[in-house]
Amino acid sequence: MDARHSHRTRAHAERLTGGESLEQFEGAVLSGVNEGAHFLGLGWVRDAIRRIAGFDPFPGTLNVRLVDRDALPRWRELRRDAGLSLTPPDTHSCGGRLLPALVEGRIPAVVVIPEVTRYEDEVLEVVAPVRLRTVLGLRDGDRVRLEIATRHVVVGKPIPRVEGSEKVTGQARYAADVRLPDLLWGKVVRSPLPHARILRISAEKARALPGVRAILTADDLPPVLVGRRMLDMPLLARDRVRFVGEPVAAVAAETSDVAEEAVALIEVEYEDLPAVFDPLEALTAEAPILHRDAGAYEGAPKERPHPNVQSIQRHREGDPERGLRQAARVFEHTFRTPRAHQGYLEPRASVVRIDEAGRVQVWTCNKTPFRLKEQLARALELPSERIRINPVPIGGDFGGKGFSTDVPLAYHLARATGRPVKMVMGYTEELMAGCPRHPSIITLRTGVDAEGHIVARTARAIFDGGAYAAFKPRPNVDLHGGHQAGGVYRIPHFEAESVCVYTNSVPSGHARSPGEPQMIFAVESHTDMIAHELGIDPADFRRRNLVGDGERLATGHRLERVKARETLEAALEAGDWRAPRRPHVGRGLAMSHRFAGLGDARARLRLETDGTVRLITAIPDTGTGAHTVFRQIVAEVLEVPPDRVVVSVGDTDAFESDAGVGGSRVTRVAGHAVDRAARAMREALARGDRTLPLQTEARFSVNETGTVTSFCAQVAEVEVDPETGCVKVLRMVTAHDAGRVLNPIGHQGQIEGGLLQGLGLAMMEAMGAEDGRISTLSLGDYKLPVTKDAPPLTTVILEDSVGPGPFQAKAIGEMSISPVAAAIANAIFDACGVRLRDLPLTAEQVFFALQSRGGTR
Amino acid sequence: MTLRIRLSVNGSAREVLIPSSRRLIDFLRDDLGLTGTKEGCGVGVCGACTVLLDGRMISSCLALAAFADGAEVTTVEGLADDERLHPVQQAFIEYGGAQCGICTPGQVVAAKALLDEVPNPTEGEIREWMLGNLCRCTGYYKIIESIQKAAGHARL
Repeated sequence: MDARHSHRTRAHAERLTGGESLEQFEGAVLSGVNEGAHFLGLGWVRDAIRRIAGFDPFPGTLNVRLVDRDALPRWRELRRDAGLSLTPPDTHSCGGRLLPALVEGRIPAVVVIPEVTRYEDEVLEVVAPVRLRTVLGLRDGDRVRLEIATRHVVVGKPIPRVEGSEKVTGQARYAADVRLPDLLWGKVVRSPLPHARILRISAEKARALPGVRAILTADDLPPVLVGRRMLDMPLLARDRVRFVGEPVAAVAAETSDVAEEAVALIEVEYEDLPAVFDPLEALTAEAPILHRDAGAYEGAPKERPHPNVQSIQRHREGDPERGLRQAARVFEHTFRTPRAHQGYLEPRASVVRIDEAGRVQVWTCNKTPFRLKEQLARALELPSERIRINPVPIGGDFGGKGFSTDVPLAYHLARATGRPVKMVMGYTEELMAGCPRHPSIITLRTGVDAEGHIVARTARAIFDGGAYAAFKPRPNVDLHGGHQAGGVYRIPHFEAESVCVYTNSVPSGHARSPGEPQMIFAVESHTDMIAHELGIDPADFRRRNLVGDGERLATGHRLERVKARETLEAALEAGDWRAPRRPHVGRGLAMSHRFAGLGDARARLRLETDGTVRLITAIPDTGTGAHTVFRQIVAEVLEVPPDRVVVSVGDTDAFESDAGVGGSRVTRVAGHAVDRAARAMREALARGDRTLPLQTEARFSVNETGTVTSFCAQVAEVEVDPETGCVKVLRMVTAHDAGRVLNPIGHQGQIEGGLLQGLGLAMMEAMGAEDGRISTLSLGDYKLPVTKDAPPLTTVILEDSVGPGPFQAKAIGEMSISPVAAAIANAIFDACGVRLRDLPLTAEQVFFALQSRGGTR
Repeated sequence: MTLRIRLSVNGSAREVLIPSSRRLIDFLRDDLGLTGTKEGCGVGVCGACTVLLDGRMISSCLALAAFADGAEVTTVEGLADDERLHPVQQAFIEYGGAQCGICTPGQVVAAKALLDEVPNPTEGEIREWMLGNLCRCTGYYKIIESIQKAAGHARL
């Protein structure tokens, strides 16, 4: 009902304002000084309001003081930019501007901004056709809700991608496309064993091969360790290998074929060591220890209850033991998810050239170039100004392109040969030695009271981190998903522990929404299981427990402007939740939430002599459409056509620092930096600064998550074949609490792409392994969704104006992936009564469950 | 062993000496500098390396260059007519069919081949034809839409 209501008011406001978007404010009524009555008595003012707002103004203003701490900057921005001019008929009178508005969601009004006012700028003067105090029964101090129309010309419009033309014509040049004179090809010898001592490496035969220019082993390199946060990984294995695929030696040769031949000729003698592959086994007293003193690694978390622990993340609120004791019923379930690859179609590629000045020139598919520069400075033992990362577009990231990968090896090969070196992974290497999503084992224990309210939860997540923690960038070297064990619910007593564990497997890394698809699969399956045990409709059970406005998540994080309920209702409505189902057809529901990311960003704008506005950003193009959003922001603020704005990516000489891409940060953080640079330029122009080229620069940094999050609710409808167990996803609904959508094409592209990755995790993606050897070593064996797997999709966007990004945007990139698996698993249960607790949700699992039960229900 | 082959690439005739083991993709990318054709999976599954050989789609990572002797090869660089983009390319820009862009050359080449054969395909035909072109960014919806729009455009 709420969703429909907001839709209705929105339409009303659009009629009133001509299609602009609405921003929400709340204020407290205060007494005025009665100047408004005089101003509104002026004939030309009344005429203007009649013309613009379509009503006869009541001769008096309602004065409202903004109450929210964060509302003031938004209002100041509007006050400065927005609105329709109120031009006086003569030069003696005072003019101003009008902003169309809605009061309490229903009464059309205008906010008057006189050029001269006695009020402080947090006081709004509201004019309506009626006396608002009387109609709404307001007294001084009462709260009143205002929705104020803004007028955006470029922001919010489906502007096509800035770099579209280069991409459809093949002109976009990715790292593997970089061609340099005298280029050598680098390749890596990889360990065939999961855990072994290296006894001897003999490279004589390889060295004798014509065309081989250099062969390096650990003995030729400084004994540095590398990592994004925790430095625990050698450039080449030294004395010991810890996973199948670990680099042991590196070769540079004239062609890639010769390099590969040389790799095959290098003989390594190993002595097997006991290995451990199961993370639970790795935590036992008898388990082989992967790293003798992991706590001594730089950046290592100090808490280390077992030597094979990489990191532990904990949350505790209230008294979960007491909460569980007092609960009417307690439910415990365990879920498992497999190792999964990000599945970008651009295998990792790096090119390194040491130039005449001795500078290290790097082209690589890394989404955080400024952080990479610092990582390389340490790994290569060079001052960071000797390193320059040149921008290239990135052929898919999805979390996996944040590590230095082969760059240090390419550098050492370039140094050894005096020639530039290119290293491109084959996809087999990607699958064997990339940085896949962590496999997980998640146990949730939840207590509910007699009314079906969740009162307590304890959660334990074990993430298989593989042989090194080097690929994880968070300060606690853990995963964001560890925070999400409480889901979108109000849970007063809560304890969650997430542990990343060393095993003799390929090191795990970040993948879109790190840890969250795993955790949300567990949380939302668990939620459904509890609802069914209690005999409550899963939607009703969620309604009872959803976090509300001003309430706290299980982690204690307080939220404001919560739209969990509206998002849920919108998904249920679009998904025909209550409609009758055919036999073997079921519907499932799942929800998640996520905050926009944090970090720092810089942007520079140049107004060129030909009138072009050039934006220089530090954000590489990973395909999300960020550059197009930046173009829109600049065009909007400077009031120029979007195609006058040229976007280019600065190399690492262009700025001092920048957090780069990741953690749903780009629109929020870099978007604000772009917005600030554009505003600075507008101010410079307003001051009369006309010296071209005119340059402005801005930095934006945010370290606090804030109180506004974004919700996602999904409904899956599936059909289960009772004979074969085959599951067909008939349709999906995804509803998003989206803030302001800056570019509907890019926004929808993020939703659709994320949803299909979620579907891949739900239905097919799993990296098989036998004794630490990945068995799915090609994209023929590791199945990614194809065209026919994309189910009919309905998207519902709930827009409002409370996002933390520029123009009140919220993050979207990591939203739609997480709930999919649980929505489908819940739908399978609804269709045939089979509850699957392990991903992927294969026909085999359903079939055997049906068999063991003897047919469908 | 070295072979002499004659072929046409994007309309220009070439005669070259190549090692018999040279893959078509390496010949195009490294010898001719046509890096628009991308290598993804390297085993003919992902479609990023799709090119046209005498108008028919092939995976250039699975073909030897020698296989193209006497043939006409069309890569993504050869789709646009001078400065005018092919309707498929134009539609991919306008309807969001390209995101990171790494699969896009293969997608537009495959889509062109489809429209050459079936000028007005149904959604089902598009899904069937494009099965061999993986995309990890878009979830395929906007690729399908782009091809539908391009078909409409091509009809006009």
